[in-house]
Amino acid sequence: MMSETVPKLRTCLLAIRKFSTAPPKVPVESRQLAFPPKYQKPRQAWLENFDTIEEKKLGIIDLHPEIFAANPRIDIIQENVRWQSLYRYVSYAHTKSRFEVRGGGRKPWPQKGLGRARHGSIRSPLFRGGGVIHGPKSPTPHFYMLPYYSRVHGLTSTLSVKLAQDDLHIIMNLEIPTDEPNFIEELVRSRNWGPSVLFVDDVDIMPRNITAATDKIKHFNLMPVYGLNVYSMLKHDTLVLTRAAVDLLELKLLTSLHKNDVKPCAEKFKLNQV
Amino acid sequence: MGSNTTEKALSMLRFLPRVCLSNIRPHPNSRIRDKRGRGQHGGDKHGCGNKGSGQRQNYMRLGYETGNNPFYLRFPHEPYYQRHHLRREYPPVSLLQLLKFIELNRIDHTKPIDLVSVVNTGLYKLLPDQRQYGIQLTDEGADVFNLKINIEVQYATEVVIAAIEKAGGVITTAYYDQHSLQCMLNTKKFFERGVPIPKRMMPPPDAIEYYSDPAKRGYLADPDKISEERLVLAQKYGYSLPEIEKDPSYDMLTERKDPRQIFYGLHPGWVVNLRDKAILKPQDEELLKYYAN
Repeated sequence: MMSETVPKLRTCLLAIRKFSTAPPKVPVESRQLAFPPKYQKPRQAWLENFDTIEEKKLGIIDLHPEIFAANPRIDIIQENVRWQSLYRYVSYAHTKSRFEVRGGGRKPWPQKGLGRARHGSIRSPLFRGGGVIHGPKSPTPHFYMLPYYSRVHGLTSTLSVKLAQDDLHIIMNLEIPTDEPNFIEELVRSRNWGPSVLFVDDVDIMPRNITAATDKIKHFNLMPVYGLNVYSMLKHDTLVLTRAAVDLLELKLLTSLHKNDVKPCAEKFKLNQV
Repeated sequence: MGSNTTEKALSMLRFLPRVCLSNIRPHPNSRIRDKRGRGQHGGDKHGCGNKGSGQRQNYMRLGYETGNNPFYLRFPHEPYYQRHHLRREYPPVSLLQLLKFIELNRIDHTKPIDLVSVVNTGLYKLLPDQRQYGIQLTDEGADVFNLKINIEVQYATEVVIAAIEKAGGVITTAYYDQHSLQCMLNTKKFFERGVPIPKRMMPPPDAIEYYSDPAKRGYLADPDKISEERLVLAQKYGYSLPEIEKDPSYDMLTERKDPRQIFYGLHPGWVVNLRDKAILKPQDEELLKYYAN
């Protein structure tokens, strides 16, 4: 049976190859890592085009394994997400204690002789409409600072997870031929990028066409590298980095990972200092 | 990183659902929720026990023994720590640490080394306001120390001096007052303040003897006596003193600060403008006279 199917498969494969959009030979774009790793192999990713709806592979580029193949620490990712949602959250829930509730200065009824329970105030916490013990007080800030390396490893973990799950794509730049939203919607649909996409460039002034095209689409967002964070990466299904963004991101994260004067970074956010 | 575990985790992630905001969670039991107990009995005593000072948090003062003659007053004591709040402290750096700083390029040993270059490594902490007056170079690593350096510390023992001089280097002990130390801790921050570099003060009366002793290589000692003492020490420890005069780095090894000077190459009264990369020097006669002596 095998002798029959193998030639059939071979012809089938040849036929598929004929219809494949991939160019027959992919130019391997060499990307020199600024700080090549000593003991690990670089990760590789496709460099894709962004100016047509059909996907064209422009080459393969190397990615630094300390950034894009770091240990995927889900717990550190969770710590980051928790911190991002809590540090600027202020709780305005407020309750009044028995002394803050209006009234209740008078003894409601005599201590003895009525056959009723003894009470000293109608605002006691036992009473309906009375004060609340240990209730929430407004404003309660929930600010805290995550340790420096938890923040850095949160970013590397998330980037590694995104790359490992094929949710990270690298493109040349954000130039598209038209400012019609249809183009970008069709592009995302045809390439099977998730419904929500985060486009990241190295600077915060993006090309006009992509800005206009994604302006009305709430699940396509643009972000510069300096704003990239764990929460946004997880909120969007797919992360799309430009080539320049990859360079800058690697530089920034490697600097953070290997700096030898980390103390001042942490000191700025010390709380409860006398 | 890069270990088998990482590779395994990443390859597993390829077949797991997409990691997103709704499916991440911390390590089990990693967060301890410290909550006040509630309910009929959960909120009873909050772990404070029944009655007494434990419950009311009105503990007796420390050492009080309810009327007994307390232990801390029962015996006479020796005042080991008398006047300790007035004494000078010199946090240590060992020769081995110094060697490591130099070999890891934290310190450039082709230039004279002083407190500023050690502090700039970021690995040495000095708190002048807690009466810490600079580096004490200790003798750990004296056997392996083999670099020719010109170092200025605040305190050094005989063994340390011998180790450095045996390797062909020179050592000076110098005093800096608190104000000068504050300028040296964060040089950039000090220059950005735009104030003139202060004049280094003379050591206090109880330190002047140390810093003018040639055997301690004090910066106020007579240079001729110091070279004499170098020979004496070499004979005591049994090594031949390398000749500095014929050394190619003679200029570096003989560079010393003025007793009033804080930074190498900069004199008191100068203002360093980092933005314009300029040095402003005083012109006024009165100022020149003040900084000259």
